[in-house]
Amino acid sequence: MATAIAAAPGPLARARRWFAGFGERDTWAAFAFLSPWLFGFIVFTSGPMIASLVLSFTDYSIIQTTHNVGWANYHNALHDPYVRTAMRNTFIYTAISVPLHVIVALWLASLLARVGRFGGFFRTAFYLPQMSPSVATGILYLLIFNGSFGVLNVALRYLHISGPYWTTDPNWVKPGLALMISVWGVGASVVIFLAAIKGVPQHLYEAAAMDGASSWRKFRDVTLPMISPAIFFVVIINTINGLQTFDQVYTAFFNQSTPYGTNASLMYAIYIFQQAFSFLKFGYASALSWLLFLVIAVITIIQIVASRRFVYYEGQR
Amino acid sequence: MSSLSSPGSAQSTAQPIPVTEPVVPARRWWRPPTGNPFARAAYLLTLGIVTIIFLYPFVWAVSSSLKTRNDFFDNQARLIPRPFNWVNYKQVFTGVPGQVYQAAFGTWLWNSLWIAVLAALTVTISSALVAFAFAYFRFPLRNFFFGCVLATMMLPGVATLVPTYLLWNKLGFTGPGTFLFLSKNQYPLWAPNLFGSAFYIFLMRQFFLGIPRELFEAARMDGDNYWTMFWRIAAPLARPAMIVTAVFEFKANWTELQKSLIYLRSDATFTIPRGLKNLLDLYGPSNGGHGDYQVIVAATVLATLPMIVVFFLGQRYFVEGIATQGRKG
Amino acid sequence: MQGWRKALVLATMLASIAVLAVTAGLASAHGNKANIGNGTLNIMGFGKGDDVAETRAAIASKVVGGTINRPSGSFNDQTFLAAVASGNPPDLVYLDRQKVGSYAAKGAFMPLTSCIKSQKINMKQYRQAAVNEITYKNQIYGIPEFYDVRTILVDNKVLDQSGVSIGALNPAKPAALLAAAKKMVKFDSNGNVTRIGFDPKMPEFFPLWAKAYGVDILSKDGLHANLNAPGAVKALTYAMSLINAQGGWNKFKSFRDTWDFFGSDNQVQKNQVGAWPMEQWYYNVLASGSPDVHITALQFRNLKNQPINYETGSAWAIPKGAKNPQAACAWAKAMTSVSTWMAAARNRAALRKASKTPYTGISTGNSIADQDIYKQTYTSINPFFDEAVKKVLDVQRFSFGIPASPASAEFQAAWQNAVNRVLAGQQTPKQALDQAQKEATAAIKAATK
Repeated sequence: MATAIAAAPGPLARARRWFAGFGERDTWAAFAFLSPWLFGFIVFTSGPMIASLVLSFTDYSIIQTTHNVGWANYHNALHDPYVRTAMRNTFIYTAISVPLHVIVALWLASLLARVGRFGGFFRTAFYLPQMSPSVATGILYLLIFNGSFGVLNVALRYLHISGPYWTTDPNWVKPGLALMISVWGVGASVVIFLAAIKGVPQHLYEAAAMDGASSWRKFRDVTLPMISPAIFFVVIINTINGLQTFDQVYTAFFNQSTPYGTNASLMYAIYIFQQAFSFLKFGYASALSWLLFLVIAVITIIQIVASRRFVYYEGQR
Repeated sequence: MSSLSSPGSAQSTAQPIPVTEPVVPARRWWRPPTGNPFARAAYLLTLGIVTIIFLYPFVWAVSSSLKTRNDFFDNQARLIPRPFNWVNYKQVFTGVPGQVYQAAFGTWLWNSLWIAVLAALTVTISSALVAFAFAYFRFPLRNFFFGCVLATMMLPGVATLVPTYLLWNKLGFTGPGTFLFLSKNQYPLWAPNLFGSAFYIFLMRQFFLGIPRELFEAARMDGDNYWTMFWRIAAPLARPAMIVTAVFEFKANWTELQKSLIYLRSDATFTIPRGLKNLLDLYGPSNGGHGDYQVIVAATVLATLPMIVVFFLGQRYFVEGIATQGRKG
Repeated sequence: MQGWRKALVLATMLASIAVLAVTAGLASAHGNKANIGNGTLNIMGFGKGDDVAETRAAIASKVVGGTINRPSGSFNDQTFLAAVASGNPPDLVYLDRQKVGSYAAKGAFMPLTSCIKSQKINMKQYRQAAVNEITYKNQIYGIPEFYDVRTILVDNKVLDQSGVSIGALNPAKPAALLAAAKKMVKFDSNGNVTRIGFDPKMPEFFPLWAKAYGVDILSKDGLHANLNAPGAVKALTYAMSLINAQGGWNKFKSFRDTWDFFGSDNQVQKNQVGAWPMEQWYYNVLASGSPDVHITALQFRNLKNQPINYETGSAWAIPKGAKNPQAACAWAKAMTSVSTWMAAARNRAALRKASKTPYTGISTGNSIADQDIYKQTYTSINPFFDEAVKKVLDVQRFSFGIPASPASAEFQAAWQNAVNRVLAGQQTPKQALDQAQKEATAAIKAATK
């Protein structure tokens, strides 16, 4: 491998080497392992994806006859003020929730990693909100974050802070949602971090201890780099999910029984859903979806490139 | 030592130190500082408070499921119901007075159970195979394919909902009848898992990448082939990740509503989330119900229990550690 | 080193299961087509329900004969649209009347002209406002079922405590109502609202307020929005002044969110609200949860002091492409006929009597049935509820609904968003409704193109 890098071959040689790769046994073995996904992707996933891309250039409504509309949907999307609002809200929400989520999850995972007795109980407890009935968390959100009487603001009042109206004030709706979802929604990430932390070889800590490192230094210099693949995963996944956030916001503000959604709580995925299933503009909804796809793809690529310096894979050279 | 955080130096720390002493009791470093009672008390206090915050939604749900309808929304944050209204749990099955609808809880449970188990098993095996391909092998188009894996997560589900339905319809799985002893309508809920799922492929890839490559090289020297390398080295070492996958998918499938709303067309095929939606539809005030939320919550609490059992059974494997075992050998 | 083949074998196994599934599926997909018109009535949105639903369903099943397939659960747009997209729509759907209009205008439903003719359905028995909701371009697309009406629900005790006369709770006299609301509202030492005087019920009841100020927010043909008519702006401005006089939206809604709406400690029992317009089903909730409250039902009146009522409800409709439209039509007729409603009402009255729970009647879209139900099955609860039930029945004469429009959903979203923007303090009523008018007009134009 080292020689290949040293040689710095020209484009033609590289292409030849690339094609030669198909002849190698490793490649065939890899494709064998890959085949379930490859088959599913070709048959089940790519078809509907391409179909939606095609539909994004039409006025498909399921009911009425479909016409080709060219780039009109994309043009309209870029000039739709609600798209701008929804995109801005979604960015703000994601920018608050992803870091909060990762920090809370890391903190809880390291807290959990230290638990000796009753570990099973605590691990289950931290995942419990994700399993709890969504009806319950929906109702509790309105109760706990209630501006006048909610537990949160009553507690803040003891500290002589007058808490904001989390559920009605346009400026505080997104932070409130991010707080709720980041705290009660971290269970999965905690589990992933916990599994990663437990995989860090013990001797690294001993070496660090010999250098007289404090536990914070051990966390920063040993744990963090060693679990960086897991952090990388959680950041990427949560960014993708954050930009597509739907469920909790929909139940809290856009349900038939809770028609209180405002410019402040309109998320991009909710707007897409409305366009598709309330307004029957599937062509437009598809175009909006593909715009979001592009945005997510760009952000993910930036994250992947930026993370190269920080993510450390034990198994890679 | 500030450069310790960079990968290169972490690696250089990693390699030269041989494991000479017998392996230290696994959790030693993680124990709270025993020497300092204040630090220990602070730790226990934090753990206690956080646990209460996390238990709260479920405890609230259990408590509310035992309240009478009149007390359900009392907003007093009173967690001990007065009196304990056990009849809610009975009414989950028999329907509330005035409602002739009877929850077919047994049917829902059975459907959800086998679908979720099948979904979890298939997705774990298929995703592990694919993840291994991405983690271990170097082959042309690898980055392109991995990009495709990630890309499938980036398009909002709304966009592909109808095309996917039409695909299943074309394949004949939206009508009545059975195929291979299983109801056709239920296939779209689990069968795609045969082909792996992006989230889990990505997750397991990250864990497979953490396995020191020397282990595979050594195994290859010992005459292992690709398959045994996967089966005997990668899979056991990444067991925590595989069990995480199975548990996550079980939970995801157990609570999946969107697909079951679209594909399931007869009561006999309903899963738990679809059944709970019925209760919500029926007892919600907009449909002539009287907001019998205490029964709905009782039903959801019942529905949650199997999920908790599965998680509890799985969670002890999460803390097994991965590379440590490899290091011992 | 042949091991990767094992991986290949396993993968092939997984893949071949899929291929098998695909081919067998394709084979059986052809088989399905033979079943068309086999006498099964496929209903969507009307699963097993309460006694009123089931009594009638039993009657209708007998009338229709054959197999009735009605999976549980309410109407769901996604389920319906997926079925339509695949070319297998249900024979009959049960859904919100507002949705009927919108789907009908887009061509998803059949006009019921021949159904009404062949089944000799007497359309006069149904309330006109309800029929208007499901009529588009002079074609009727649905058979009305339930009927929700809105009256002002008054807590007499709050009135007495704050010295407000019942005559003040009249939207026809805006100044008096505002003064009454101010008298009844209460705050605690932190400035939080602890009792609402008068809740205008925004954004939900904006159409009612606009109507009170003389504005139909949508023209009869459903093609012209009137959201920024001066009257509508005035109505919203006034409703906002009510809320602002009672602590402002943040405090107002925060307090309202804590109400024990369905419980025995509800806001009326605990005197947490003076009065507010509400759907009639809430009397039923009160009667069973807290039958001892002292309430009065008032008609909502417009500025000319005439009673008005904003009605909504559900209906039956037959999708285009239904395989069994005759049976569907017969079912819809049977479900909504006077005799069926009467049977359901008698049964419910008997059930309630047996369980010693109060019975407040049924509010249907069939005006003849409504009269008979009240006359023949209603039994007195107490003077307060008896009076309220009578008022609910009486107010139905003054009903209006929102006409069918090809862009009902967009129209509703436009005004709801506008009201929410005003509530959140982001826009003035004029700005918000101007914007809503623009959005609604554009949506209707796009839908009729």
